[in-house]
Amino acid sequence: MTIGNYDNLSCFVPTVKPDVWQSVIWRRHWGRHQAFFLFSELDSHLRAFREKAAAAMPGSDWTPFHLTPGLPPERADIVIVGGGVMGWSVAYWLKRKEQVRNAVRVVVVEKDPTYSQASTVLSAGGIRQQFSLPENIQLSLASADFLKNINEHLNVVNEDPVDLQFNHSGYLFTASENAAHIMEANHKTQMCVGAKVILLSPAQIKERFPWMNTDGVVLASYGLENEGWFDPWTLLNALRRKAISMGVHQCFGEVTGFKSSSHKVETGDGDLLRLKRITHVNVQMPNSLEKQPVECAIVVNTAGANSGRVAEMIGIGHGPKDSMPGIPVPVEPRKRYIYVVHCPDGPGLDSPFLIDYSGVYFRREGLGGNYITGMSPEESEEPDISTLDVDHDFFHNNVWPRLAHRVPAFESLKVSSAWAGYYDYNTFDQNGILGAHPLVNNMYFATGFSGHGLQQSPAVGRAVAELILDGRYTTLDLSALDLKRILYQEPMLERNIV
Amino acid sequence: MLKILIPTIMLFPTIWLTPQKWLWTTTTSHSLIIATFSLTWFNLNTGTGWYTSNEYLAIDPLSTPFLILTCWLLPLMILASQNHMSSEPIKRQQVYLSLMVSLQMLLIMAFGATELIMFYIMFEATLIPTLMIITRWGNQTERLNAGIYFLFYTLMASLPLLVALLSLQVTTGTLSMLILCYSDPMPFFTWSDKIGWMGGLMAFMVKIPLYGVHLWMPKAHVGGPNAGSMVLAAILLKLGGYGMMRITILLDPLTKEMAYPFIILALWGVIMTGSICLRQTDLKSLIAYSSVSHMGLVAAGILIQTPWGFTGAIILMIAHGLVSSALFCLANTTYERTHSRTMVLARGLQMIFPLTATWWFITNLANLALPPLPNLMGEIMIITTMFNWSPYTLILTGLGTLITASYSLYMFLMTQRGPTPSHIMGLTPFHTREHLLITMHLMPVLLLITKPEIMWGWHF
Repeated sequence: MTIGNYDNLSCFVPTVKPDVWQSVIWRRHWGRHQAFFLFSELDSHLRAFREKAAAAMPGSDWTPFHLTPGLPPERADIVIVGGGVMGWSVAYWLKRKEQVRNAVRVVVVEKDPTYSQASTVLSAGGIRQQFSLPENIQLSLASADFLKNINEHLNVVNEDPVDLQFNHSGYLFTASENAAHIMEANHKTQMCVGAKVILLSPAQIKERFPWMNTDGVVLASYGLENEGWFDPWTLLNALRRKAISMGVHQCFGEVTGFKSSSHKVETGDGDLLRLKRITHVNVQMPNSLEKQPVECAIVVNTAGANSGRVAEMIGIGHGPKDSMPGIPVPVEPRKRYIYVVHCPDGPGLDSPFLIDYSGVYFRREGLGGNYITGMSPEESEEPDISTLDVDHDFFHNNVWPRLAHRVPAFESLKVSSAWAGYYDYNTFDQNGILGAHPLVNNMYFATGFSGHGLQQSPAVGRAVAELILDGRYTTLDLSALDLKRILYQEPMLERNIV
Repeated sequence: MLKILIPTIMLFPTIWLTPQKWLWTTTTSHSLIIATFSLTWFNLNTGTGWYTSNEYLAIDPLSTPFLILTCWLLPLMILASQNHMSSEPIKRQQVYLSLMVSLQMLLIMAFGATELIMFYIMFEATLIPTLMIITRWGNQTERLNAGIYFLFYTLMASLPLLVALLSLQVTTGTLSMLILCYSDPMPFFTWSDKIGWMGGLMAFMVKIPLYGVHLWMPKAHVGGPNAGSMVLAAILLKLGGYGMMRITILLDPLTKEMAYPFIILALWGVIMTGSICLRQTDLKSLIAYSSVSHMGLVAAGILIQTPWGFTGAIILMIAHGLVSSALFCLANTTYERTHSRTMVLARGLQMIFPLTATWWFITNLANLALPPLPNLMGEIMIITTMFNWSPYTLILTGLGTLITASYSLYMFLMTQRGPTPSHIMGLTPFHTREHLLITMHLMPVLLLITKPEIMWGWHF
């Protein structure tokens, strides 16, 4: 873009100019550029003057130093790595629990502003209380309560209310003969903790859900309340909107490393340990080489599928085997497929989220006869995690036969679309990891939920905020899910039906 | 006087010519020796009222406590900065130390000045090194804003001071403090005289800081480095008080009527800033507001123009200077470890740092004016003289004392007591240097219980 007139000696005129100088006409005059004030350009002169005056007034963000837009603050109190539903839940609860406004400065660092590969938005969005660990049931119950009253919690003045599209259709788990006793034991635990689940015989299943083929099913458990599915993107945005309105800073950038100070301590048994304390988080700006170290007191690792990598950046996992520093955080990404199928003669509007003992699951999506379905692959057949490409053969070979066996109406269906997403898979015991690492005192974890993170996110956020601000769990005692079980090698496994 | 000033000026070659390995050791010990020699100033034994004088610099019982406090604080500031400056290149460390030494030199000349214009020039000149220390080595992105507030509040208020001083020079013929104390009160009756009175005192009121014009202070403290906060709280605020005491000699008897709204503003500020302290989440900000609260009491004591008021003001200024500086050093030790000044993230420290908990305890008790510490002596004197002036001030000052006690205890309980969060467990233990620093702050306060007469100003 060139500005101004040329004279006979015309050559190029400097092309890149800030807006405020557009009104100034440049002429070449004896080899020098001179600026002239032309009355014909009075309008643009006045506009430029007004812009400059507005920039000089307090309240404008013009500074003489050019700051990269979107840079995180130089220091923050708590940096949350990972802007998924878990990270924003922690941020929201931190702000909700602080006694005085702006007591803690919270920054959420998210790598991808489009959330194209985030587990949250690619999730099936189900919520259930049918677990075997009481902690899991309590987390889901508390989260369901939060989601049912979401507008009391996440309403922002003068903005639209939150509509999660929470379908309370319930989960239906089926059990074969050799697993029925596990289902009965789990049912007892669930009733104890307070979940509303009933056990159904095949005849009762046939009564409620005539479209189902009860061949091979000995027992089923059906959630009556607080179970179903909702829209994860809405929940993420509602948490984000509310947290930002309470003063959380959002920064788009990738955490590439940490600066830490370390010192050796001697334990009571005489072992020498190296304790690390994170002092800065290195955030790299998107599409740029620019890095900003954010000085912080506490880091919360909610990076989901990448949590293991983030923990490695601080050195967890680097050390002699079988020593505490040598045990890595066992969270890695695992790819799972979801297929959207269209079947006009399918189970209908009252169909629950069915999870069959063969591993296949499906749920209704919308009101037009669409369903989403999928299956967890065998341990030995884990798909490649480098891309999120969908394997349609998996559907034809593994999902469809089992689905059609359980629901005969699905023998004729059409796959309309499919996507894949990552589980933040905890290879140790497939349950969430909470709490701080003993060797890196100020890194808290809330990760490794292996597919049931979204449904537990509100309650987990509250638990982590309690750990940070109160020093201990005050509402739900989640010490069973603490990180230390990884170091003691004591798994907290779910007794699944399959 | 020169035997302290010349060694201070010679600290410049010390800084720039010492080998890198010995830089901090040398400057600390050099300034400590200067501080020890400055104690000879307590030996005030001539009959003239002014001691160790030459034509331009002299000391009297009013300026001696401040001068000795200034000299004492320099080694403490250098000790406190040693850790966070160790990562910087050597030239920058030398520049930092030079800024502190130049500030020291200007302060000695300010407190020792015999002529009001010289005092004014030194008063203004101290702004420059302080501004550089705050904006270059401060902690936050807002340190630029903090520096601007700091600079322009003082500059705006001190331009009228220059005009007032020059016009006073024309009226009286001299502005030398040696002579002014013998001059007759001048006839000040007109409106322009009243504005001149305001002009004369406004700069010092901003510096003290008085409640309405105190906004620069929390910003400068939060945005500045540790040594900057120390010198600001300990000495620079006292420049305002000292200047007010010197210039009110000239401004009698107008002060009797004109001071009324400012005394009320100061007392109101004690309560207001004390209440703000109870709601603070940032530790340094809390200590800054507590400084404003104490100095409000000092301002009231000076404006009341009675012997007890002046004496109480001097005592409170000295004691507050030491205690407030100690509090900033303690807050800085927490900040260096947790990298956060938020109080809610650094709690239950008593369990991990028991000796430091003792220092926190003593310092907070001193802050809330526990007897027999000199803080109480100063506060009691000011409260008594205010009560004599008007019994109703007792409501304000009594309430102020109560609020001071509550926020000091709040600060102590929030940081030291309570459950220790798990992310605090791995903090590095305290260094001897840090214990030494706090001890060197608290020891003079405790020793002053035994001989407070040296701080009583003219009424010794």
